[in-house]
Amino acid sequence: MGQNQSGQGGGGAPGEQKKDQEKKKKYEPPAPPPRVGKKQKKRDAAASLGAKLPTVYPNAKCKLRLLKLERIKDYLLMEEEFVQNQEQLKPQEERNEEDRSKVDDLRGTPLSVGTLEEIIDENHAIVSSSVGPEYYVCILSFVDKTQLEPGCSVLLHYKSMSVVGILSDETDPMVSVMKVEKAPLESYADVGGLEAQIQEIKEAVELPLTHPELYEDIGIKPPKGVILYGDPGTGKTLLAKAVANSTSATFLRVVGSELIQKYLGDGPKLVRELFRVADELAPSIVFIDEIDAIGTKRYDAHSGGEREIQRTMLELLNQLDGFDSMSDVKVIMATNRIESLDPALIRPGRIDRKIEFPLPDAKTKRRIFGIHTGRMTLAEDVNLEEFVMAKDELSGADIKAVCTEAGLLALRERRMRVTQADFRKAKEKVLYKKKEGVPEGLYM
Amino acid sequence: MVAPSDDKAKGGKEGKDVKKGAKGKEEDKEPELSEEDLALKTNLEMMVERLGDAEPGVVKLALNSMISEIRSATASMTSVPKPLKFLRPQYDALKARFETMPSEQAENRALLADVISVLATTKELSREVLKYRLAGSASELGIWGHEYIRHLSGEIAEEFRVRREADSAANVDDLMALVKQIVPYHMTHNAEPEAVDLLLEVESLDLLEAHVDSKNFGRTCLYLTSCCAYLPEPDDAAVLRLALRIYTGQARWHDALRVALRLNSRPDVEAVFAACGEPQAKKQLGYLLARHGFSINLEEGPAAVEDDALRESLREVISNSKLSEHFLALARDLDVVEAKTPEDVYKTHLTEGRAPAGAAAVDSARANLAATFVNAFVNAGFGQDKLVTVAAGGEGGSDSVHWIFKNKDHGKMSATASLGMVTLWDVEGGLPQIDKYLYSTDNYVVAGALLAIGVVNACVQNENDPAFALIADYVANSDENIRTGAILGLGLAYAGTGREEVAELLSPLVVDGEVAIEISAFAALSLGLVFNSSGREDVVMSILQALMTRSDVELATPYAKLLCLALGLCFLGRQELAEPTVEVARTLSERISQFAVVTLDSCAYAGTGNVLKIQGLLAMCGEHITADEGSAHKTVHQGAAVLGLALIAMAEPLGSQMAGRMLEHLLQYGDAPVRRAVPLAISLLHVSNPDVLVMDTLSRLSHDQDSEVANNAILGLGLLGAGTNNARLAGLLRGLASYYYKEPTSLFLVRIAQGLVHMGKGLLTVNPYHTDRQLCSGVALAGVLSVVFPCLDLKATVAGKHHYLLYCLAAAMKPRMLLTLDEEGRPLPVPCRVGTAVDTVAQAGRPKTITGFQTHTTPVLLGVGERAELATEEWLPLSPVLEGQVILTKNPDYVAMDESK
Repeated sequence: MGQNQSGQGGGGAPGEQKKDQEKKKKYEPPAPPPRVGKKQKKRDAAASLGAKLPTVYPNAKCKLRLLKLERIKDYLLMEEEFVQNQEQLKPQEERNEEDRSKVDDLRGTPLSVGTLEEIIDENHAIVSSSVGPEYYVCILSFVDKTQLEPGCSVLLHYKSMSVVGILSDETDPMVSVMKVEKAPLESYADVGGLEAQIQEIKEAVELPLTHPELYEDIGIKPPKGVILYGDPGTGKTLLAKAVANSTSATFLRVVGSELIQKYLGDGPKLVRELFRVADELAPSIVFIDEIDAIGTKRYDAHSGGEREIQRTMLELLNQLDGFDSMSDVKVIMATNRIESLDPALIRPGRIDRKIEFPLPDAKTKRRIFGIHTGRMTLAEDVNLEEFVMAKDELSGADIKAVCTEAGLLALRERRMRVTQADFRKAKEKVLYKKKEGVPEGLYM
Repeated sequence: MVAPSDDKAKGGKEGKDVKKGAKGKEEDKEPELSEEDLALKTNLEMMVERLGDAEPGVVKLALNSMISEIRSATASMTSVPKPLKFLRPQYDALKARFETMPSEQAENRALLADVISVLATTKELSREVLKYRLAGSASELGIWGHEYIRHLSGEIAEEFRVRREADSAANVDDLMALVKQIVPYHMTHNAEPEAVDLLLEVESLDLLEAHVDSKNFGRTCLYLTSCCAYLPEPDDAAVLRLALRIYTGQARWHDALRVALRLNSRPDVEAVFAACGEPQAKKQLGYLLARHGFSINLEEGPAAVEDDALRESLREVISNSKLSEHFLALARDLDVVEAKTPEDVYKTHLTEGRAPAGAAAVDSARANLAATFVNAFVNAGFGQDKLVTVAAGGEGGSDSVHWIFKNKDHGKMSATASLGMVTLWDVEGGLPQIDKYLYSTDNYVVAGALLAIGVVNACVQNENDPAFALIADYVANSDENIRTGAILGLGLAYAGTGREEVAELLSPLVVDGEVAIEISAFAALSLGLVFNSSGREDVVMSILQALMTRSDVELATPYAKLLCLALGLCFLGRQELAEPTVEVARTLSERISQFAVVTLDSCAYAGTGNVLKIQGLLAMCGEHITADEGSAHKTVHQGAAVLGLALIAMAEPLGSQMAGRMLEHLLQYGDAPVRRAVPLAISLLHVSNPDVLVMDTLSRLSHDQDSEVANNAILGLGLLGAGTNNARLAGLLRGLASYYYKEPTSLFLVRIAQGLVHMGKGLLTVNPYHTDRQLCSGVALAGVLSVVFPCLDLKATVAGKHHYLLYCLAAAMKPRMLLTLDEEGRPLPVPCRVGTAVDTVAQAGRPKTITGFQTHTTPVLLGVGERAELATEEWLPLSPVLEGQVILTKNPDYVAMDESK
């Protein structure tokens, strides 16, 4: 195909060229060796000299960088000017139109879809159609052979079944679901306290994507990922949502349990796919909630299921710190049982920052109460200090539950205001519920 | 001791009081503020209020505490420091207060201005940071932190530009006073690039010199020199001059000499060379000059050396007379001394399909000629081979005819000349072998021998100066071939030296209308090689005269293009110095004038990356000229324009990558003459640098429908991998050999490309850029150009009877080695690391300069984009760039590891 392209622009005297060609045809072997398969594809994608813009060093903000970028801009402007002029003289569209209509004629309609089973040589392949039978067919010369690989979907001519086109494969639909299209509503303002945690997560996740040069200035590599841990209800997921809300990077969210699949090898494959998509859509942030579902310590597993889960984790380990570099992909994990996680998963290099979410102290509690009661109508007698100062271990989620419960109680009595008594009752209820499942002191 | 703690307690209590008082209100207004923040906020608000106080003492106290509050704030990099955040709403109030503050409170006014200035960094306002800084106290700037200074620098640059735009002589003393404060701060805080940036903006780089010391000069100069390629004139020369002064001030002679060579100014080079007093270091400088092909007068003039012994050893170094010996040492170390036959290079047993072995059936003369060149290139510099240096009927036994006589006509000339290539650089060993052919009865052989003498002496100056003595007489010979050989031989032998005698001998030939244009063109080319980038008037005038007086028929031949190239070589890299000549060239006959203008222009701006010139050339390439047989000359300049693109952009990687994109467009849209030059331009951008992508592109083009494009691409592949032994490229060429097995011209070129790839058994390079790609050797570039330009008419020159033009590459050939020498000049094996070079400009700390290295023992080969560093502390190199020959001295601080422990 490379030849086609370069041949197109060839000017010169056409008659002479034709003669030349005919003369050659007598002895000339067919085009140089075919280039089939994925490996080739990767190289060919960048094969033309002009596919990529040069990377500009240094990363620090300085005049040299500016000058270099300006130089690139100058070159690009010249290219634009050149191409525009050329297109005005002889629009490429027109040149190609004839070819295209010819190709369409060859393709014919309707087309059927089949799967490429095997490539025999550069012009022939075995395809299977959806109905069942397999055919040995031709591959037409205008098909981009670099994109052909066993297993891909191809377009087949309705009569001769020759391969006339390729359907590009989509990414795993499982992964595309994980992409957060609509940003969550929670923002940093909805997080009570946790200032240190917000700062840490910002430094580790957001800044490397927006200001990589800051890290270069100091001479460090930005962290790859963070793990958020702490008691239930202390705001881990909330903070992750806030990150998703504030960033313009692609945000992929998974729950650890989603990575456990029915069939052998599907889990690791999904992990691979996830990181591949993340890399494609870079800069991106991958958030894995409840990582303990797959990240528990390895031990001698007896059942195949457990082994499979462990393998999924091993794939995750490799994706976090393997041979393939992931530069613009940051990982956030959340768990409330960090002590049960495999030490390999959270070693520095894979997860560089461990951010603890403690139970709120009095000050934070006051702010959380403030956030949740902010939109409630409170009676005059309500004094939240009483709950703030109480010695009970209240998490952020508990506080929210208390407030909601108090509101419900008020609602039950058709009152428009929530009183102190409501709060007291609500707190008792919440705390009772919390302790209910754990018969305290029974086994101690 | 007591007072501060007391103070603190009081402050704390005060804060608490305030908090209690304000609590009720605060809860519904801003519930998110924590207690400390609130305390801070009210405290600051109170201070702002106090500023309105009539009592200067109170105001001062408030200001001081405000300042200390701001200074002590540690912000995360994600947000604005808290005190500034709380003060922001008060910004206008503060400004108003500043306006109303009575002028007798000058001190307070200044302090307040400081505060406002710092506060303004958080606002997007037009230069208010600067405005209030100018009104503020002249205190130390560093206390406000790096971010503030960065802001201030930006605004100074902006203000400077605005003022200068309004009035070019505007007063900027106030700004300069600030700059003088900021620059030392940057220089002492590892922010050299920022200091340089600021000074570039305010156009006073000279201030920098005073603040450079032994710690920061390296980073500063590295930044300066790497900026140079992207700065507009005359800033680019200014930064280089500054770097030169800094290096000289620090007695870093090798660095200084590199910058001086980059400036291409003879006085500077001579001054640096003379200033370096230490004999060993001076020898090292000599090696650099030798690599660059820069001849310097040691007997008299500014660079004269008093000491006889030293002068002798320096002369030996600069004349490259040890080059052959060193190269052979490298070859022995790598165990590649054994001579190779062309078959060793073709490896026909590996080619699939139809082997072109049945060459006898096609064109045995061509095949033999190809074998001659392959043999010459592969064994270049080794002094022995299996074809031309062996005596006839000798070891071979069965052959009674010497290889040279197995060639026809011009083939014999090239075959004899290949003797020079095989014994390259080895004047004493090579001349006796060549000498006997001088007395041959066959004119072609004599011509070849003369050329061989030139090739042997390329880049080497023997003290006896045999080349001139041997060749000079033949220049006036009656036979044209002998004359050609003699002329080209002279050109190669004295390439880059600027020898007067050569000009005296050859100039008349150029001008003489009686001799064939062929002779005249080669004479011009030789002059171009000898006087490259000198811009010598008499040479230029004689070439111009030749171009003016020759008839249109003669100007339509490819030889006229050689005349133009010669003109270009004289002005290689001289930029606007070529302008008058360009004007003259415009008035030439229309058959050649455009070609001459384009060639001259692109040679003059070679390696500058001048965007305007590139734009002009690109527009030229975009023209679609309809030409028939009679007016074919209208398009000749387009080929030169394409090569010009590559020539101008080749200096830095950025430009060459972007130029690669352009060439891709030219392939898409260009007409035939443009497309034909594209493969050559691509290879010119990547000489001896077999990049995989480039290789793929050229390999694609080598199957092009247009046979000229294909042929140029084949030769381009050869240049791309010249001297690298690249296995992938070798495989590609083997494939091409079987593909084109029935086309003699293409096959011949494939063979030559194979020879080029295996040049010097993979120990050589023809890339004109050397010493970390910082310097471009004019001689080497001229050598490459005198092969590439004639290829625009491939059929008439290289693939025709002027194949010996390929020997011009001898001017560019250099071993790509690192050879370490001790102080007596003997090779000294030491361990060293070789790895991919990393761009470390403006990076923090002391970043590694190489990555993915392997440890070897010198001598070692260095690939393109590779760098070496010593892996031992025992020796210190006298050159910071480890390339070519490097002298090592004992490290006086070295303590050997005690291995017995």
